[in-house]
Amino acid sequence: MKKCVISMQSYTHAAKAQKLLSGRGIEAALRRNEQSTEGCGYSLVISIDCDTVAKILNDYSIPFIRLRNEVK
Amino acid sequence: MLVNFDNAATTYPKPKEVRLAVNNAVEMLGGNAGRGGHQLAARTSAAVFSSRETIADFFGAEAENVVFTLNCTAALNMAVKGIMHDGGHLIISGMEHNSVARPAAALAIEKKIMLSVADVYSNDEMTVDSFRNHIRPDTKAIVCTYASNVTGQLMPIKKIADLCKEKGICFIVDGAQVCGIIDVKLSDGINILCTAGHKGLYGVTGTGLLITDGKYKIHPIIEGGTGSSSTGLKQPDFLPDSLESGTMNVLGAISLKSGIDFINRIGVERIRRHEERMCDIFINGLKNDKRIKIYRRNECEYVPIVSFNISGVPSEKTAQLLSEKGFCLRAGFHCAALAHSTLGTDNGTVRFAPSVFSREKDVIRLVKTIKFMSF
Repeated sequence: MKKCVISMQSYTHAAKAQKLLSGRGIEAALRRNEQSTEGCGYSLVISIDCDTVAKILNDYSIPFIRLRNEVK
Repeated sequence: MLVNFDNAATTYPKPKEVRLAVNNAVEMLGGNAGRGGHQLAARTSAAVFSSRETIADFFGAEAENVVFTLNCTAALNMAVKGIMHDGGHLIISGMEHNSVARPAAALAIEKKIMLSVADVYSNDEMTVDSFRNHIRPDTKAIVCTYASNVTGQLMPIKKIADLCKEKGICFIVDGAQVCGIIDVKLSDGINILCTAGHKGLYGVTGTGLLITDGKYKIHPIIEGGTGSSSTGLKQPDFLPDSLESGTMNVLGAISLKSGIDFINRIGVERIRRHEERMCDIFINGLKNDKRIKIYRRNECEYVPIVSFNISGVPSEKTAQLLSEKGFCLRAGFHCAALAHSTLGTDNGTVRFAPSVFSREKDVIRLVKTIKFMSF
């Protein structure tokens, strides 16, 4: 199963993105970063491909550090 | 029984829902917001984000552009020093509280900036012209209070905002005396709004807000842990983290959400009308007493604050005698030397400042007490 892990700049951006996606029927889990070169931070884990998520976040100018597709 | 008419300093009592929300937060929200991923941290972080969203909606801002601060003074210091950190020319009004005047003066004394003070008149056009006449090519920001904390006089904020927009100058507004009483939005042309949380927003003491439209970068004056980008020594450059170092006042943030929910339930207009009615009762009760001077002019607009003096009686003595009768009013200079200088009130004034909870019968009792007071 595909999932997208999005590293966010901050908790606030992560929570804002989570709410935005939820309003579009996309449920995202807000998690602490498991791997990050930047140090502490938060990620959203979503069961869809990253391209769809990236487009939504870009459309609403919500910054993110990186996206990573994973296969569960 | 104590009756608080010093609500311009801090509102008391607080709404029941604020008290309940803070009690609940003490019991349930024991995590450190924006730090850690465990359940306690997660639910605390979510509650603080919810508060941030409520505040953002109230002022027409983006959630990430809402910065929690210690109080309005901290917010204004962050705004003034953060915008002026690499120098330039700053204009403030002659009605400013020391929370603006002192950081501005400190920068000027240290020769880090050039500072001008624009005179304030009862005529709005003259006040705006005073600001305009001080503008120079290197003017970086104008700071103006939305309303004087001494007299309640409303400043021509929208006209000054238009001037700032025309000249490409950052407009910083001190909203301490208006938020919760006037519907303030960033779309009024305000680039950075600083306000207290514990006054008209009915939060607890130790709360303030800096809310920005994000157009002007605010250099942080405090660096530290933000819960983000922790491996680098450089302070994050994104909001709100860049301006929110250290553990935040979670209880304060929660109190602000419930305070704003309370205001939204009652309505800003209704709150203002109630407080204005209390002021009208106060003024009408005293205006014919020849011993009393009320610092209001017919040509000006005011928020619900009334400054007065009793002829020949020091303001502090008046307040002391009223305190002995159970009335809490603030006397002296209200941390606003510039404003008192503008008004020519060399011995300060006594300030009457009601809240949504003030009662007509208490105002009438206060008026009678002042009228029959002997010195």
